[in-house]
Amino acid sequence: MTGFLISRRNLFLGTGALMTAALPMARAWAEDAPRGGRLVVAADSEPRSLNPAIVASNGVFFIASKVVEPLAEAMLDGEGGLAPRLATSWEGSEDGLSITFKLREGVTWHDGEPLTSADVAFSAMEVWKPLQNLGRVVFANLDTVETPDAHTAIFRFSAPTPIQLIRNALPVVTSVLPKHLYEGTDIAANPANKAPVGTGPFKFAEHRPGEYYRLTRNDAYWGEGLPKLDEIIFRVLPDRAAAGSALEAGEIQLAAFSQVPLVDLERIAKVPGLKVVTEGYEALTYQLVVEINHRNEILADRKVRQALSHAIDRDFVVDTVFLGYAQAATGPVPQNAPQFYNPDVKPYSFDIEGANRLLDEAGYPRGEDGKRFSLRLLPAPFFSETRQFGDYLRQALGKVGIDVTLVNNDTPAHLKAVYTDHDFDIAVGSPVFRGDPAISTTILVQSGIPDGVPFSNQGGYANAELDTIIDQATETIDTEARTALYNDFQRIVVEDLPLINVAEWGFTTVASDTVLNVGNNPRWAVSNWADTALSR
Amino acid sequence: MHSPEGVAGLCLIVLLAAMAFAAPLLYPGDPLAIVGRALTAPFTDPALPLGTDRLGRDVAAGLMHGARTSLLVGLATALVALAAGTLVGTVAGLAGGLMDEALMRVVDAFQIVPGFLLALAFVSVTGASLPVIILAIGLSAWTGPARLVRAEVLSIRERDYVAAARVIGMHPAEVALREVLPNALPPVLALTAVIVATAVLVEAALSFLGLGDPNVVTWGSMIAEGRNVLRTAPHLSMVPGLGLVATVLGVYLLGEGLADAMAGRKARG
Repeated sequence: MTGFLISRRNLFLGTGALMTAALPMARAWAEDAPRGGRLVVAADSEPRSLNPAIVASNGVFFIASKVVEPLAEAMLDGEGGLAPRLATSWEGSEDGLSITFKLREGVTWHDGEPLTSADVAFSAMEVWKPLQNLGRVVFANLDTVETPDAHTAIFRFSAPTPIQLIRNALPVVTSVLPKHLYEGTDIAANPANKAPVGTGPFKFAEHRPGEYYRLTRNDAYWGEGLPKLDEIIFRVLPDRAAAGSALEAGEIQLAAFSQVPLVDLERIAKVPGLKVVTEGYEALTYQLVVEINHRNEILADRKVRQALSHAIDRDFVVDTVFLGYAQAATGPVPQNAPQFYNPDVKPYSFDIEGANRLLDEAGYPRGEDGKRFSLRLLPAPFFSETRQFGDYLRQALGKVGIDVTLVNNDTPAHLKAVYTDHDFDIAVGSPVFRGDPAISTTILVQSGIPDGVPFSNQGGYANAELDTIIDQATETIDTEARTALYNDFQRIVVEDLPLINVAEWGFTTVASDTVLNVGNNPRWAVSNWADTALSR
Repeated sequence: MHSPEGVAGLCLIVLLAAMAFAAPLLYPGDPLAIVGRALTAPFTDPALPLGTDRLGRDVAAGLMHGARTSLLVGLATALVALAAGTLVGTVAGLAGGLMDEALMRVVDAFQIVPGFLLALAFVSVTGASLPVIILAIGLSAWTGPARLVRAEVLSIRERDYVAAARVIGMHPAEVALREVLPNALPPVLALTAVIVATAVLVEAALSFLGLGDPNVVTWGSMIAEGRNVLRTAPHLSMVPGLGLVATVLGVYLLGEGLADAMAGRKARG
């Protein structure tokens, strides 16, 4: 099954007909992918915890997903977009109050203990629901997990829970932890958070702070003939400029998450022996947004927000800030999420005159010096692109008479200023769309979220109609009705602009030609890399 | 003021000052404005002689306006440092005793913390704006003048003419301002060159680390921006880098020249 996927990706350029014809051959090729070898990968940060069941973020997954596995992984052609991992099947009841998972048999933890439904029940009730950043939302209504036998887990919910949401969330929120290592301990302080024990294709071997993480092959992995590699080394290279040189020098064979700056891609693509891969991030769409503080009475006026949106030249942002490696956004759901994307939302055109008119109508004429009012802009320091967009936005708003003062902060100070102290007028943010709007998207506009929750609505926006739709959608079991609700959600967000979506982008991987099967699933960079191989 | 170094330094500084003064005339408006296609190579477009950066901002405009920021920070810091240092040094030197001890321990406290770290901490706590940055750099720069002034004052206050001034009943403040300070200042002024050069470099380093004022162009922030594209567009870092080299070199040479001239006058006199 994985073989099928690999072949599809590698024969990407073929026509549909050719691909079908080539399938059996390609499958044989994939199974023949050579075994053995050591892959050296650039890591741009050293996460404090490597426990993806508690911190479900890409920085943690990048390393930990090879060790700790979820119930299912994303897959381009899989049923419901999923490939089974620790669960082999999942079925929701009609009333939406329970979901039954059948677990894979014969799976053992890296310390030799067998994986059972007790591990899943423990992870769900003790970790995902109470401790995990995203699981708190997804499993909010989870009551109990029943384990009628060692390989069946039945999740029971107190309120109807859409199977669509759970399915979409499976790859991200369901990393299974070993109960026998965590039970009865302080889960957040367990030593296994730093040296994880999982069921994945690779075992955690060691971490030398400031130098590298080393993972070694799990010979007892359940996937037949997998993994292909003997060892993966994550070399810590915090300097983004260094990754490109290290690749060229052959010191590392792979740099993911756009560690090689976009401006260098054109040059590096021409280096013999290196390839640039843009696939493998389809389910990790980052969104460039302008966050708005609705407590500011100028910005509380919808016309002003619409003027802001018209003042932004999204094509310029895509072409210049992202050098084309992005797409102009139309609304809060990215276009590469066809399950939910509402193609009828009307995007805001780049229209300076329109913006000026809206601002005049709103009662903010230009003063003597050509300025209407002043705003403080806090660009998130997370990516060079978010900062650069901040520089651009200052210029763009200056053109319609809005005087913008930039305030740069480091990451902790930025998070505090925007999400706790609300000490901003507008901010540039980069939330992630994770396959379902209910996971981390609706929280951006929903009201009633406590202060201090990062990447949530901290702008003081409250819209009763929108809140009702969001609440309804979290309890609507029927997939079609739920999708319709999210179509309304997008329409209202685009009309009323609680925040302004500017662009959506994935990342790029630069790898040596010898690395095979790069980018062959929509979450490739944070998947388990069992089929990743090195040619000789 | 006839040494070749001094003349070279003076020429460089005059040139930079001319750039700084001409900037708003030659490039009116915001130097951060986006004026052309991104990453235009230098010397390809007559309207944009030094090309553009990642967003299409004019590098030449940045260079000229950056000179303003750099010189402003350098001179303002020197002023702050000299004023604070002279005050503390004079008081400590004249008062002596417990006051002297206390003030000098404060100076020690500031001197044991590396100046750059001090500035870094100060700016990251208070937030970046030009006055804050000037203050932050001045925070570590005032200790040099303070020590020097105190040493000079200690030697001068024992001179006969100071004693005479006291005897005729001059107020201590008058003694300090009219008799002691004018004679203590010349060696301190020689220190100015070092302070200005350091301030320019520290400001550039702060901006490079993203702690500068993002609303004004500085050479440090230009280099930081250019660093990401060092391989594809090295001129983005080199142009402001050369500006920094010219400033620091100019200030240093001028300082040397002035020191030589003063030493010569002393020797002749």
